[in-house]
Amino acid sequence: MTIPVPPDTLTLTAALLAVLLPLLSFGMIMLVFRHRRRLCARISIGAVSVSLLCALFLLIDHWHLNTPIRHTATWMVSGRITVSVGFLLDPISLLMLTIVAAISFLVQVYSLGYMAHDPGFSRYYGFMSLFAWAMLCLVISPNLLQLYIFWELVGLSSYLLIGFWYQKFSASTAGKKAFVMTRLGDVAFFLGLLLVLFNLGNLDILEMNAGRMPLNIPPATITLAAVLIFGGIIGKSAQFPLLTWLPDAMEGPTPVSALLHSATMVAAGVFLFGRLFPFFSQSSGAMTFFLFTGTTSMLLAATMAMVSRDIKQVWAYSTISQLGFMIMGLSAGGYAAGIFHLTTHAGFKALLFLCSGVFIHIFETNDMFAIGRAGGRRLKVPMACMAIAAAALAGLPPFSGFFSKEAIMGQLAQMANPLWLAAGLLGAFLTAYYAFRLIFVILFPRRDDTDRPPQNAHAAHAGNDGHRRAYRQMAVPLIVLATVTLVLGWGQAGLEAFLMRTAASVVHTAEAHPAAWLPYTALGLALAGILLAWVEFGRRRAAQIGFVERMPRVHRLFAERWYLDHFYRRFLERIIYGGISALCTRNDRRVIDGGLDALGRSTVAASRRLSLLHDAALQARMMLIFVVMALLSLYFLFA
Amino acid sequence: MIVPYSHVLLLSALLFVVGMLCAVGRRNLIMILLGLEVMLNAGAIAFVGAALRWQQIEGQTVVIFVLAIAAAEVSIGLALIVWAYRRTESLDPERLQDLDTAEPL
Amino acid sequence: MFRRQTTMTIYALLFYLLAAVILVSTAIAVTRRNLVHAAIFLVASFFASALLFYLLGAPLLAMLEIIVYVGAIMVLFLFVIMMLKEKPASNRPAARGRKLWTATLGLIYLLAVILLVFATGPRGQTPLTPAVASPAAFGRYLFQGHWLGIEIASLLLLIALIGVLHLGHTAARRTAAGIEEEK
Repeated sequence: MTIPVPPDTLTLTAALLAVLLPLLSFGMIMLVFRHRRRLCARISIGAVSVSLLCALFLLIDHWHLNTPIRHTATWMVSGRITVSVGFLLDPISLLMLTIVAAISFLVQVYSLGYMAHDPGFSRYYGFMSLFAWAMLCLVISPNLLQLYIFWELVGLSSYLLIGFWYQKFSASTAGKKAFVMTRLGDVAFFLGLLLVLFNLGNLDILEMNAGRMPLNIPPATITLAAVLIFGGIIGKSAQFPLLTWLPDAMEGPTPVSALLHSATMVAAGVFLFGRLFPFFSQSSGAMTFFLFTGTTSMLLAATMAMVSRDIKQVWAYSTISQLGFMIMGLSAGGYAAGIFHLTTHAGFKALLFLCSGVFIHIFETNDMFAIGRAGGRRLKVPMACMAIAAAALAGLPPFSGFFSKEAIMGQLAQMANPLWLAAGLLGAFLTAYYAFRLIFVILFPRRDDTDRPPQNAHAAHAGNDGHRRAYRQMAVPLIVLATVTLVLGWGQAGLEAFLMRTAASVVHTAEAHPAAWLPYTALGLALAGILLAWVEFGRRRAAQIGFVERMPRVHRLFAERWYLDHFYRRFLERIIYGGISALCTRNDRRVIDGGLDALGRSTVAASRRLSLLHDAALQARMMLIFVVMALLSLYFLFA
Repeated sequence: MIVPYSHVLLLSALLFVVGMLCAVGRRNLIMILLGLEVMLNAGAIAFVGAALRWQQIEGQTVVIFVLAIAAAEVSIGLALIVWAYRRTESLDPERLQDLDTAEPL
Repeated sequence: MFRRQTTMTIYALLFYLLAAVILVSTAIAVTRRNLVHAAIFLVASFFASALLFYLLGAPLLAMLEIIVYVGAIMVLFLFVIMMLKEKPASNRPAARGRKLWTATLGLIYLLAVILLVFATGPRGQTPLTPAVASPAAFGRYLFQGHWLGIEIASLLLLIALIGVLHLGHTAARRTAAGIEEEK
């Protein structure tokens, strides 16, 4: 096991500042400054920008980190189980710290414009700070228990933010659905946690990653624990079968979707996978299971994205699909590849959501066809940034997505079974198709409606000063992210070296020597997807109906999310409500209530019977007295 | 010498049985009370006989108290019988059985 | 010299006569339908009982029995009997089941007392020697040794008096109200 080193004072300060300032901001906003909107926004953005600076400082300072830095304080001791809190800084956590802080900062600046007229402005920034705190503490947790605590806190802030516009019934329902479905995964996570705890005595991550020999745990237990912990990842990262909460989570404000449900919170699952990568890779059976789950999610979500009309839903399905892709990469042994794709995906997916947010904010509709008809392509900055991000998503060079996808494809090619690579290539084709379908629908709307001027458009370049400022506040993060997307690809080698420095001793990944034909094949498939989208949606005389939509049965299958929601609803009603809760209700009513009622009623009945003794016949009672007297006298005579 | 003591006791016992049968077997409140008086009287006879048998005057002392108590008891008993008569319009003890379900006075 | 068998002295004859009178008159008293008749027969029984007391050497008690028992208690009984006009239908005899129980009870009792009386053995067969407790001596003994009991008994009579007054007062008020309502 790698022996961690304690931090120096500067590192300690920076780390603590980075994670605790958002908590302070949350407290101050929610308790003290609720009524002063602009002050709340300033507090929150101030806190997260300090966190960002500290994170960047830590990343740069420890770029050449060889051993992880750990700082813990013992929290609970019980028997031979010790639980501590603190932080663990190694490359993956430093990287995630930076990603989370950066995207939080950008989204919070964006929200200044987006949420400017919302009555819950202060509450929004409070919850944003809460989320930032929870996510930052999650990524630096040194043991699984602290991670689990912040995992749950992140789920809580997700619930609060999805249901932010709680007066809308669909929003609050979506919040509940998200919370309950992720909770289901968390139960499995907790069981896995307990299994590890009982076998190991503590939940320290470094110990878990130490390799099988020092651990002395039977392999079957490791497989079981890994699969159970992966259950939590399934829930949090919206993989099959717990994926339907993420499209519904689009009820929340778009910046929330950008922050939580594309870049950071759902990436927490993949982050956990990366965190426990040495632990998981000890069990090849579990890794195969993970690979299977990731592949299924990726393909299913891609099909669902192909037929969706809602702009946010397309990106939601895309997130699920890309997370599945990341999990595929990690399960195939590509530690650095998977984490690199996580990083690039955070960038371009957040960008996609933020651009969509601009369209939604201005045209007040989520439907991509309506946005196109209303003149979406006239907004240059969002349109250009969205095109850049979609290209990155599709895997076109020179954007960041190309490099990360190639890395994962290369890893998949190492697998013995060519099925996985084939699935990955198919996924690449579908991804390009649905991404550019959306782009072309907005870019080339149908001719008949573009003559009409947009109805509700507060077109930003012809408005008053407030609109202009809001537009600027929303545009700047877009440009920043687009730049990152352009540039990040060339950082691949450096990033991978950074990641592997501490992991090399434990992560036995074979060097990915991709076949020479692989990048060209992947690129060719992506271009083929774009071409198909062009043919169907972009051409001048195209009908804007996808090839899937021509097959009504298939269309309905994809549109109904492969009937997963139907299955869940039926399962819920038949088995849970009809079975278990009916049983419990009956138990409650008949056994418990009935028992207590019977107790009460029997008391009353018994007292009624007893009261008969009161007014039984006078003379009968006298007779009784005399009989007893006679018998007593006989007794005393003869005894 | 008068009679053996056992004869006095026998008389007392028989009188007691008669009184008991009257108290238990007659469906009339007044007869219950009369039976009670007969029983008390039987007890008094037994005590006087005992005083004579052991030549101690204690027995007769007891009879004084029996008389006092019988007087007190009869007076209150008859007052209660009057009350019960006004309540149920009869002297039947079984009419007093369901008083709680009848209307309160 | 007395013989082994019981010599029928005059006292013994008197005793048996009085005993017979008591038992017969009580038996008749308990079987009367008419309450006034029952009361009168019981008066006769008490008279005989008083004479019995005199025979057994308690003249004061005999007088007290007549004054208190007959003169006060039975008179009170007669007052109440004549005041309460009973509906004839309600004085039914007991049900047959009750009669059975009562008969059984009586038999048990008879058995018990006979056994008890004759099981005491020769001690119970002691003949009673006549003696008389003069009223003066009895009174002195009573008030010297049992003055506390006398006080308590008088207190008891006071309480009975108050209780009866209260019950009568409430009953009278209710009856008056009832008569008012009827009017």
